[in-house]
Amino acid sequence: MRKGSIAFSLFWLSAGWLILALAGTAFLLTDLYSRALDANLANQLKFNIDTLSSATLDSADPKFADIGVQDPRFTRAATGWYWVIRDEAEQILSTSRSAVGLLMPQLSGDFDIDNYRTGVLEDEAGNSLRAIERKTTSNGRPLEIMVTGNLGESLALVGQFRGQTLIVLGAVGIALAIMSGIVARLALRPIGRLGKAIEQVREGESQSITGSYPREIAPLAEEINELLRSNTQIIERARNAVGNLAHGLKTPLAVMRNEASAAKDNPLARVVTSESDKMTQLVTTYLDRARLAARSAVVGKKADATMVMLRLVRVMEKLNKHVTIAFKRPDASLPWFRGDESDLEEMAGNLLDNACKWSKGKIAVTMMAERTPSQSFLLIRIEDDGPGLTEDEAQKVLRRGVRLDEKTPGSGLGLDIVKELVDVYGGSLQLRRSVLGGVLAELKLPAAKVGGMARS
Amino acid sequence: MRILVIEDDTNLNRQIKDALTEGGYAVDVAFDGEEGHFLGDTEPYDAVVLDIGLPQMDGLSVLEAWRRSGRAMPVLLLTARDRWSDKVQGIDAGADDYVAKPFHMEELLARLRALVRRAAGHASNEITAGPVRLDVKAGKVTVDGQAIKLTSHELRLLSYLMHHKGKVVSRTELTEHLYDQDFDRDSNTIEVFVGRLRKKLPEEVIHTVRGLGYQILEE
Repeated sequence: MRKGSIAFSLFWLSAGWLILALAGTAFLLTDLYSRALDANLANQLKFNIDTLSSATLDSADPKFADIGVQDPRFTRAATGWYWVIRDEAEQILSTSRSAVGLLMPQLSGDFDIDNYRTGVLEDEAGNSLRAIERKTTSNGRPLEIMVTGNLGESLALVGQFRGQTLIVLGAVGIALAIMSGIVARLALRPIGRLGKAIEQVREGESQSITGSYPREIAPLAEEINELLRSNTQIIERARNAVGNLAHGLKTPLAVMRNEASAAKDNPLARVVTSESDKMTQLVTTYLDRARLAARSAVVGKKADATMVMLRLVRVMEKLNKHVTIAFKRPDASLPWFRGDESDLEEMAGNLLDNACKWSKGKIAVTMMAERTPSQSFLLIRIEDDGPGLTEDEAQKVLRRGVRLDEKTPGSGLGLDIVKELVDVYGGSLQLRRSVLGGVLAELKLPAAKVGGMARS
Repeated sequence: MRILVIEDDTNLNRQIKDALTEGGYAVDVAFDGEEGHFLGDTEPYDAVVLDIGLPQMDGLSVLEAWRRSGRAMPVLLLTARDRWSDKVQGIDAGADDYVAKPFHMEELLARLRALVRRAAGHASNEITAGPVRLDVKAGKVTVDGQAIKLTSHELRLLSYLMHHKGKVVSRTELTEHLYDQDFDRDSNTIEVFVGRLRKKLPEEVIHTVRGLGYQILEE
């Protein structure tokens, strides 16, 4: 779960509430428990006061040396459990054995309507004491009976309780956090599936987004499909329009050029010839550009490169009887080309056509895959036994618009369109020297992630 | 050699016809797919120049229909659609070569010559029979290296026989391949031209096979 994700925010939103709620619960429980302990202690102390109070009634000794409470904690020294009986002049009449030799602190404040007052004191041993004092009268003598209990014991119990509560609630919290994490993931799983489906479309593995999605994101999937459909339609329309325009313009251009070249000596004819040549160049250039622009938005297409090459080799051998093309059919594991089939045909077709133009009779075509950890590529090598190119010439040919040999028409233009298509697809074109003696043209093109499926 | 040109643009059609006639071919023309298909299906042509974008029946359909019914004459496609996918489609439909518009007339002629030559099984632009040498590209004939002058009808006749040398060619076949549709077909004219041609060439170059036709022997 990375920062900035819905799952992350969902998790922290629910986990944040959980932490607050659980911490509050722990605090509240401990507080209730400590109040309960304190109330219990107060009850015990009051009971002891009552015991002492009734004992003073029965006692004949004005110093009450013969009275006491059963609880043995009041007999051992400095336990924090003490009782003290004072007269109205604050003179100590009697104390528990535990308080012998200690200077007993006194409570301050008023007595309530039941004649009790309570407070927290500290003895000389450092014990924290819960003290309750009652004003009473015994046989006509006003007395103040104070009983204390060790608060530290209560506090220790509270601490223990707090620790246990934290452990239990912490465990509950962790369990809930894990659950909320799982819930967030489960709830977001369809979005992940949708992402994968879109990726498949981009990789060319499917034409549209398939599968069923929950009601909340089903409209999103439908909208994306609709977008893909209209995109394809727009491109299709643009391509058709470009094709029609080409046909419409090229025939009159051909007529003008032919008519003019038939009358070479006429100055008007010369102008028409040169201008119609320029127009032809312009038409070709801009039609190519329009085709490229229409193309760059194509998503979700892939083509079986082996089939394309087989077809091209067949056609080239028919067109160029003097050439034999050695093409070893690659095995079915060769990945497909990620892109439009006619674009691949255009790139490979032009390279193969150039090879045929220059070849003395032998051409070799090889195909292979090149895989890097992040991406895989398709390599198509076309070699001929023609005169070949020097490094300088190869550089020049790869530059746009340069024709190496005007006598072989289209050689520059053909490579231009190849170069532009290669750029659109993020591939590369290299020209090297072939072992056959001529040019080795290497096309490197992105491969579809899943190749070699159902070959049709 | 008789060529059919199917192109809907009247100007371009006329230009191609003129250029081909000048190049020594007999030319028939059609301006739409249906007419073109009918002509190609019924008349014997040595080659066809076929535009892809035609009214009524498009060029590829015409071509496919011919090939289905076994018409095997070489076909040169003419089109503005010059992407390789279009070319592949055309070749797969049965075309033998391809010229993209706008084209230079010389290129069209050169490709057509190559098609006709290839269909007759000749590898180069020169065909020889004994001392006679025919340069298909230039339309020139030499005998023992000496150029001889022929009229266009004589050249067509000799060219057809040389392209099909070794084969006995009937008068009907010659009439069908040397003249366009509108020509008044009287087989006697063939005999007249053969007679004239024989006078300009060494003896025994053109044989008469009685009752069957004429033949130029393979060496």
